Amino acid sequence: MRTVNGRKWRRRPSSAAATLRPSRLLLPLAFVGPLLVVFGAFYLWPAVNTILGSFFRWGLLRPWSLFSPAEWDFVGISNYIDTLTSPRFWNSALNTAVWLVVFPLAVTVGALFIAVMIWQAPTGQRAFRTIFMLPMTISLVAAGVIWTFIYDPDFGVLSDLVRNLGIDFAIDWGPLEFKTAEWLSNPGTVDLGFAQIPLINISLIVAGFWAFTGFGVITLTAGLTAVPEELVDAARVDGARNSQVIRHVLVPALRRPLTIVATVSVIFALRTFDVVWVITQGGPVQDSEVLAVTVWKQAFVFLDSPQAGTATALAVIMSAALVVVAFPYLKGLLRREDA
Amino acid sequence: MRQRRWGIVALYTGLTALSVVWLVPVATAAMISIRPLDEIRDGPWNLSGATFTLDNYVRAWQQGVSGFALNSFIITLGSVALTVVVGALAAYAFVHLKFRFQGVAFFLLMTTMIVPIQLIIIPLLPWFRTLGLDNGNWQFVGVVLVHTGFGAGWAVFMMGSFFAAVPREILESGRIDGAGEWAQFRHLVLPLALPGIISFAIIDFVFVWNDLLVALTLLDRSTQPLQVGLANLQSPHLSQQDLVSAGAIMAILPPVLLFASLNRYYVRGLFAGGVKG
Repeated sequence: MRTVNGRKWRRRPSSAAATLRPSRLLLPLAFVGPLLVVFGAFYLWPAVNTILGSFFRWGLLRPWSLFSPAEWDFVGISNYIDTLTSPRFWNSALNTAVWLVVFPLAVTVGALFIAVMIWQAPTGQRAFRTIFMLPMTISLVAAGVIWTFIYDPDFGVLSDLVRNLGIDFAIDWGPLEFKTAEWLSNPGTVDLGFAQIPLINISLIVAGFWAFTGFGVITLTAGLTAVPEELVDAARVDGARNSQVIRHVLVPALRRPLTIVATVSVIFALRTFDVVWVITQGGPVQDSEVLAVTVWKQAFVFLDSPQAGTATALAVIMSAALVVVAFPYLKGLLRREDA
Repeated sequence: MRQRRWGIVALYTGLTALSVVWLVPVATAAMISIRPLDEIRDGPWNLSGATFTLDNYVRAWQQGVSGFALNSFIITLGSVALTVVVGALAAYAFVHLKFRFQGVAFFLLMTTMIVPIQLIIIPLLPWFRTLGLDNGNWQFVGVVLVHTGFGAGWAVFMMGSFFAAVPREILESGRIDGAGEWAQFRHLVLPLALPGIISFAIIDFVFVWNDLLVALTLLDRSTQPLQVGLANLQSPHLSQQDLVSAGAIMAILPPVLLFASLNRYYVRGLFAGGVKG
């Protein structure tokens, strides 16, 4: 449809040659067909079922099916209303919001910081880059397990460090309550007036940050190698300080990779499941439960009650939010087809 | 000049300190995994009178890791093989051919990179039952198909960008020599874009190997992979850090080894996703 590649070089051979091929229609199908069959049956079809099923009441013991209208229990948009009015949703939405604000910010700034440092190093760039990329290859399950060894109240490295350096403290400043202990149960809260944010979310975000920042480092490194050295030298000659070079030369040149890192980390934050599931399962109580965990629990933990309908409604809301947030990114991906 | 030298020293000090911080979590897990549980209580880095042993690994392996690891390899290799084959074919069509609904199909494929897997996971369970993919070894087939479907977007996107980089003149000369689409794909594009295909295969391997959600939802005990086994082993209420740490190290070993040995391809794949996107 939009493949400039294809068009460009198909125009050249005479149109007679093109019409001579009867396989013109079937041929692309032979190439693209196998993928589309799998994609249709195991992505599109379930996605359609999720969207349609979100307007019905059902549970996984008696799943909703498009082909058995006799058993339909149509409820209109009440699954959506139930979801949007349940305290559990708003609790998870708040925790997800914390992820959405803190995680992309931390990843983008952290990755920029690390990438620029590596870029400035005269030698050893590859070794440093490898170290920061290593956690990217580690599963988030393993990352979660590994971070429990850091946070463990008895022998965890962080708890140990705090104790041995004598820097354990507890503060209670207005809305902020924080103590250097119980990292995975209750390290404190921030009171926003309308809601209390449990700081345990930050503990989990740190684990995610550790696991994901390598992606930002590698993406920004790719961008940095494209920055003309003369530009940086010229700025230096003009007496620009390091921070000024970063602010006025590098950041503008890195706009595209920075947008990618920010967007992909927003996607990561909204999709977050594994780290939370492995470390706290959303607990204590629901202090660290995020939307992805709520969907899963509603659909699969309480199998006997017909909650799959509400779970699908929530899944649709999440997906819609992601498509909206990531739309510029999606458009960038689509543009690629033309390039 | 003098100032510059101090800047370099500060830079390397900073980078080294950060690197150490970055390595501490994995190093701690590795340390816990080679020491008896009762020694860990005094801190994993307290090395006075430490004993080192591989006993944790042996016990973890015997208590289920061996089965989980086998399942992980079956699922991952199966998914990567299928995704690479159908993905490469489709990517060729998207880049070098023209067909109806191409734009819509491409758009739908790209949504897989954005939406959460929760969008498809709930109806998949009854769908597996309908298709008979919910018991025995059929579950492997089912989970491979799900990974292929959800990875299809990345496959077309990434391999397509490598295929598009094959110089058009080469394809054109092939066509003049009478090569059909299949011959062009098989003898021109595939060999030239092979490094790109390897890059994608590695990234897909890491992605599927590390999956928790799909496997946790769709598979029973006999077909579950390592990540699910590890997630179930990990519990705040159980003190079995010895087994959990050994399991975690074994679970991260295959992707890390792949990354270490084929670093070049892995980075190239990520670059392809980054620079041009």
